[in-house]
Amino acid sequence: MDFCGKQVKADCEQLLKRFQRTQSVRFEIFARIWREMKFSQIFYGTVNHEKRKFSRLILDVASVFFLPPFSFQIRVGGLYLLYSLYQCQNASPSEQIRLALKDWVDVKTFEKDAIEAQHFDVVYILQQLMFCKAFHFTATPSLLTYNKKRKVERSPMHENFMERVSRPQELVNIELLEEMDNVHQHYENLKASTLSLTSAQQDPSVSLIRKNLVPQLRSTVVDFYNWQKRKDSVDEEEDSSEGPSSQQECSKRAGLLASIKSKAYGQAAEVSKSRRHRQVEVDFTSNEAPTLGRSRITKPSLKARTSENLHISGNLPVTTKNTTFPDLKHFTPVPALCAIPGLVLKKHAETGCI
Amino acid sequence: MAASEQTTDANTNVPEYEYPDVNTKPFHIGSFKKEWLSRLKPSDYSYEEADEDAFHANFAREMGVSAETMAELKAVCSVDSLRCHPEDQQPDTEVVPPDPTLRTLVQRKERQDHRASLKKIKKNRHDLYADELERLTIGRKPETVTDMVPEGEIILTINVYYPAVFDKFNYIRPHMTLLMTGSHSLAELRDAVCCVSDLQVCGEFSNTPDVAPEFISKDHYKSAFFFFEGVFYNDMRFPECQDISSTTIEWAKSHNFPSYSQAKMEDTLLEDLKVKVGFPYLYCHQGDCEHLVIITDVRLAHKNDCLDKNLYPLLTHKHRVLTQKCAVCHVFIGRWYTTNDQFAPSDPCLFCDKCFRMLHYDAQGNKLGEFLAYPYVDRGAFN
Ligand SMILES: [Zn+2]
Ligand SMILES: [Zn+2]
Repeated sequence: MDFCGKQVKADCEQLLKRFQRTQSVRFEIFARIWREMKFSQIFYGTVNHEKRKFSRLILDVASVFFLPPFSFQIRVGGLYLLYSLYQCQNASPSEQIRLALKDWVDVKTFEKDAIEAQHFDVVYILQQLMFCKAFHFTATPSLLTYNKKRKVERSPMHENFMERVSRPQELVNIELLEEMDNVHQHYENLKASTLSLTSAQQDPSVSLIRKNLVPQLRSTVVDFYNWQKRKDSVDEEEDSSEGPSSQQECSKRAGLLASIKSKAYGQAAEVSKSRRHRQVEVDFTSNEAPTLGRSRITKPSLKARTSENLHISGNLPVTTKNTTFPDLKHFTPVPALCAIPGLVLKKHAETGCI
Repeated sequence: MAASEQTTDANTNVPEYEYPDVNTKPFHIGSFKKEWLSRLKPSDYSYEEADEDAFHANFAREMGVSAETMAELKAVCSVDSLRCHPEDQQPDTEVVPPDPTLRTLVQRKERQDHRASLKKIKKNRHDLYADELERLTIGRKPETVTDMVPEGEIILTINVYYPAVFDKFNYIRPHMTLLMTGSHSLAELRDAVCCVSDLQVCGEFSNTPDVAPEFISKDHYKSAFFFFEGVFYNDMRFPECQDISSTTIEWAKSHNFPSYSQAKMEDTLLEDLKVKVGFPYLYCHQGDCEHLVIITDVRLAHKNDCLDKNLYPLLTHKHRVLTQKCAVCHVFIGRWYTTNDQFAPSDPCLFCDKCFRMLHYDAQGNKLGEFLAYPYVDRGAFN
């Protein structure tokens, strides 16, 4: 059955590519593309035991798109694809969708994100699959027979299906920079006071502190982000066979795609709850830069934790008179600490498709 | 024994790849099962059909949607919305539709047209056989509840490969595939492996042909072992069994190899094993007949599985080899191998049991003429 693996993958990718272009996560839209492509026919003409083998193959191929590293929208498409293939297959009884233990947490997170964004059709279809026992709960995504692949073929399509990497921006967010600057200043002061005690003032050999740590970190992340943007727009140009061709329009489209994530969520959320599984019309004509979000706060800030820890520990230089502990509450942000572009709230960015 | 070890690092029982898409790191089968069961609701792996109305009502309540919305959701997500043909026309799903655009279908059509042009519509024996096995096993329910594979039980798929024969380079490595549950022992796996060397009869029996078939190797050489992750699992069920792994273990010790340990096949359940999925291990019997063993899949039992315990270990695939036919009738599989045989068209020569006796013995069973006769077990004897 391996002989048709490439063709099956290409067909699945074609379907998902068309789904991606709609910028939608609605099942209704997916089903329309499915019908247009007459995708049910993919099972026609398999005979006897080929039916089961083919179901196994195509379900394994499709499962990949339901899991990271693909973007939320592609994963929704992957889920719909699995559901549709599962329902339309001609093996009887039906062949199951394999779900590996290590991927369970990703599926649960995906479900949670879909619930939070109130994508009812996504949640319904996932739970429908669970309800009709469509899954095999397995150790590995596919059966393994120690077949060493000569070369792993990576589809160029896959890169387009992935979210742009945003971990650096997420990690080095404005709050982290503020806190880091605070701690850094505090540390600098502490050092300075220690030095003044030992009267080894201005001794360059003792200045172990890296100056400008925070601004440097910030500018590095900004550089990374700008490089990423440049790279993206180059990719867009190369991909000019379809869609707008002028550079201006390309970068416009890139900006558009980026803004959809942050914007769409906000707009779609206003739509009546009961219509969430229906197609939502969102106006994409305005070309705003990605809005800056604030990262969600899940634990006490580093500042709070630092201050707590420092107060508890009794190893403070109590003998120092002039180095009373600097007031952690008193904090003035350095001017360099302005926003890092492209910093959007991760959760919204991922689930923020219409 | 290993219970405390396992709880300290539970994550090692969530299988991860050692080499992507090739094999996993070792994990404990029983703990893997527990990991799954702790994450799932019993209804997720139950064999029972759940109530659809209850599912919908529950969904509506949890999501906080109205009955009206729920009805709309059902309609939008229905299988009907995937129908690619007019409602009143049932398409022929047995043939590739004309003028396909999907690449899979274009290729399938090409293949079918090519096959049709060969005009030889011969159904592959392997295909027929696969259909046969499939019909036998899928969705079988036992007559009594006590024979039911329990819900949440582990099902393993195990490939046992035939000893390497280098006469033909072949991409399809001949093997048999067995399904077993986690509560089967390795001894049960051993008994399910059929290998001709277990049936090899040694000796010349031209004077006493009726005695020969009783003398099969399995009765003589009972020792055997599996080798998984540094442990030799020996078959010690019978008094005449020997620990044939000890030689290897001693040798490894004297050559500064990592130390191996021993356990009993009959005391080891499959769910007690700590193994890599997809990794080749060893089964050795008859002293030197070696088979590769690969656990290709480990998962929870599903309602569509064969649920009758008594039918396990369940054979789902068996490589069929060409059988050597009798030199006289060309119909039956060879059972006797003769040499120095004046009646034979060749030396050596193969005969089926009937032709052999008709040709070499009189009605009273007296040996006619001079020849040597050895019982022969064909490699395809298990087909
Ligand atoms: Zn053997
Ligand atoms: Zn014969």
